[in-house]
Amino acid sequence: MTDLLRVRDLSTRFFTEEGQINAVENVSFTVEAGSVLGVVGESGSGKSVTGLSLIDLVESPGRITGGEIWYNNADLAARVEGDQPEAVDGDFVDLRRLSEAERRSLRGSAFSMIFQDPMSSFNPSITVGEQIAEAAEVQRRASANPRSTRSRTQGYGLGRMLLDGVLPDRSYTSEESWDRAVELLERVGIPDPAERAEEYPHQFSGGMLQRAMIAQALAGDPDLLVADEPTTALDVTIQAQILDLLADLQETLDMSVVLITHNLGVVARVADRVSVMYAGEVVERGTLRDVFDDPVHPYTKGLLGSVPDIDQPGERLEPIAGNVPDLVDANMPDRCYFADRCPKAMTDCLTRPPEYEVNDGHRARCVLAEREYSEADAVSDERLAGPTDDGAAADDGSTAADGSIASDAEVSDD
Amino acid sequence: MTDPLVTVDGLEKYYYENDTLLDRLTGAEPEAVRAVDGVSFEVREGETLGVVGESGCGKSTLAETLMRLRDPTGGSVTFDGEPVFELSGDGLNAFRRRAQVMFQDPFSSLDPRMTAGEIITEPLAIHGVGTSAERRERAETLLEEVGLSADQIDRYPHEFSGGQRQRIGFARALAIDPEFIVLDEPVSALDVSVQAQVLNLLADMQAERDLTYLFIAHDLSVVRHISDRVAVMYLGKVVEIGPTEEIFENPQHPYTKALLESVPRADTDERSRTVETIRGDVPSPRNPPSGCSFRTRCPELIQPPWLDVPQATFHEIGEFRTRIENGDIDVDLRWEQVGDPDREDRAAFVDSLREEAFDTELPADDEKTVREAIRALADGDRETAAATLRERYRSPCEAIEPALPAGEHPSACLLNEQPEDVETAREEWEADHDAPEAGASSR
Repeated sequence: MTDLLRVRDLSTRFFTEEGQINAVENVSFTVEAGSVLGVVGESGSGKSVTGLSLIDLVESPGRITGGEIWYNNADLAARVEGDQPEAVDGDFVDLRRLSEAERRSLRGSAFSMIFQDPMSSFNPSITVGEQIAEAAEVQRRASANPRSTRSRTQGYGLGRMLLDGVLPDRSYTSEESWDRAVELLERVGIPDPAERAEEYPHQFSGGMLQRAMIAQALAGDPDLLVADEPTTALDVTIQAQILDLLADLQETLDMSVVLITHNLGVVARVADRVSVMYAGEVVERGTLRDVFDDPVHPYTKGLLGSVPDIDQPGERLEPIAGNVPDLVDANMPDRCYFADRCPKAMTDCLTRPPEYEVNDGHRARCVLAEREYSEADAVSDERLAGPTDDGAAADDGSTAADGSIASDAEVSDD
Repeated sequence: MTDPLVTVDGLEKYYYENDTLLDRLTGAEPEAVRAVDGVSFEVREGETLGVVGESGCGKSTLAETLMRLRDPTGGSVTFDGEPVFELSGDGLNAFRRRAQVMFQDPFSSLDPRMTAGEIITEPLAIHGVGTSAERRERAETLLEEVGLSADQIDRYPHEFSGGQRQRIGFARALAIDPEFIVLDEPVSALDVSVQAQVLNLLADMQAERDLTYLFIAHDLSVVRHISDRVAVMYLGKVVEIGPTEEIFENPQHPYTKALLESVPRADTDERSRTVETIRGDVPSPRNPPSGCSFRTRCPELIQPPWLDVPQATFHEIGEFRTRIENGDIDVDLRWEQVGDPDREDRAAFVDSLREEAFDTELPADDEKTVREAIRALADGDRETAAATLRERYRSPCEAIEPALPAGEHPSACLLNEQPEDVETAREEWEADHDAPEAGASSR
């Protein structure tokens, strides 16, 4: 299978008043063409920022500080090659080295994104059809005149704006785009799309609005759809409908999907490959089977052990002790980030682990990929707690309190 | 079997809209939102009763109403033999000491200007338990018990993580030694690893202190994990209740089945599992469907006795009916789509809508009925169109409201055993509605 996207050492940082936050740290992964990559992790693990970084939507005070995103597109490669030969490698183009305008022109047509909360992603005062038609219109104008989307104004300059002020009922969208919007609504399974297109977002239910948002994201026929927690705000019966829809669209349109979620069941349902994120890093990646049936990293194991099984309820859950660290650069220790919560921490873990290859395509950022755990090398909690600790960390091994780390500094939950 | 600690009988909580003074003066009819609509169940001593349902099914309102945090509009709740809604003075105080509640959102349920210690001792202070020093000591013990450390007593909520805050909320609920705790989505705002910690804590405390829990959640795997018995709610009503094993292994109500099917399993076999998703959305509690409230989405909707079409076809016809009855189909727009704004070619209109609405082949009689309905619609006569379809395709589920019979594992569905009065009503209805005469609707 060919790769659509190869991400190498991507880092995104936020420069806040509390200090530098390392939201995404040297993340690497590949997205194969026509497949689904699941990105799982808890809140604050950097999974959403990874998604935003792919499409270059990170907002101030955040910035992508390093890394390469190689995108497989022969046309683009041919076009860019003349000006920037260093950004091209065969059919692949490094998006990070392209100009802002060039990257912008890829949004919608190459990459598209859907968000968690459909209610807040639509403008409540414009009909759903109009908003989808707008997305279609941008793509239509862009293909008619490629220069226009690359310009800052997208063909909507000062003159147009003034004219629209004087003639308020002039619509940005054309009839053609409206028809396309209705067609898209039908494609995502909304009954009576022509009628529904005339309605406003509040007249839609949550599930229907999520469908509408997917329709909007499809307007530019993207190669890659980034879906950030697309079903988290929905009820299970509706979630099942949306997952079915995503799987169906992915197959029929032959798109790739990056599905970001905290729900392991959702990943199991649709993903081909999985990346597990913790504290801004990808700690384990591989095929669904590698990660779910054969996990190497203790965090992956812990995550799987924390979920109650609906078919075989066990007596007791095995949670991971402690909390997700806050990612402030000054507080991040120079060792494995998971060591202080890890039941198998060893002296080896006091240095930052590289990504080890477990087997072909299955990688884990943990020394256990290379060697067995041995009691003799176990490292004490005191040593892991580090200099910033105030003594609360060492009080429990067995009671599984989540009290140890977050008590040290302010807690950032998202 | 142990005795019930809490008995809920026909509990109702309606909210009224259009009920302002102006509305009353202008004579507008108040509109009821039936958040909780006649719910009955028992919580037995020492057990955990799980209540599951999708958002808007009334499970939180149920909890708040039975704790007397909201005024009920009907029904009764008995706590250890005492009628909760009639208590006052000392009796009410005693109830408030014996029953506590823990809320969902760890960020808004703790006062940001109170320290952990103040939060935990507040119930003690309200009920005048102990001196201030004793209360503080108690708070320290409680903090340790819920897995925090005693020296965190003077910290403020913002200094704690979500999981830690839920522990404080739980310590507050435990402070005055209650017997009964309502847990309203206690773990849904937490990450999975932390969620597991809190679930273990809840289970430990229950074993240690003989607590009775009413556990409200939307996450079915969590409910299965923690509950002894489970009640499934849909649109303000309990549709099925029974022992956890029974509910999960042998669900009776089509809604429970659909709900269980829909949960994605964290397992590599998940991809190959076929899930029969139920279509559509939960209807509005402002205007719930007649008869069985789940019938608009039900995959097992009962066909009228005179009809025998494949279930998939019946379902499609049902959806088409709903679209016509709700006025979802805009006739003017359809004529435009057919490209015939002068409305001359009725056949083209009928064909196009017929094709769009049905994927399956219809039996000859049904084809006729459906086309007749669409013809009426083409003339702009929605009433006749709806009536034509209603005549032939009305299901007993829309006329008869199922009830929850007595027993260990009852379900409110006409397919299952029903109380006598419901059975009688159904027989009467079927007798009253003979098969439409052959050809009558397909003239």
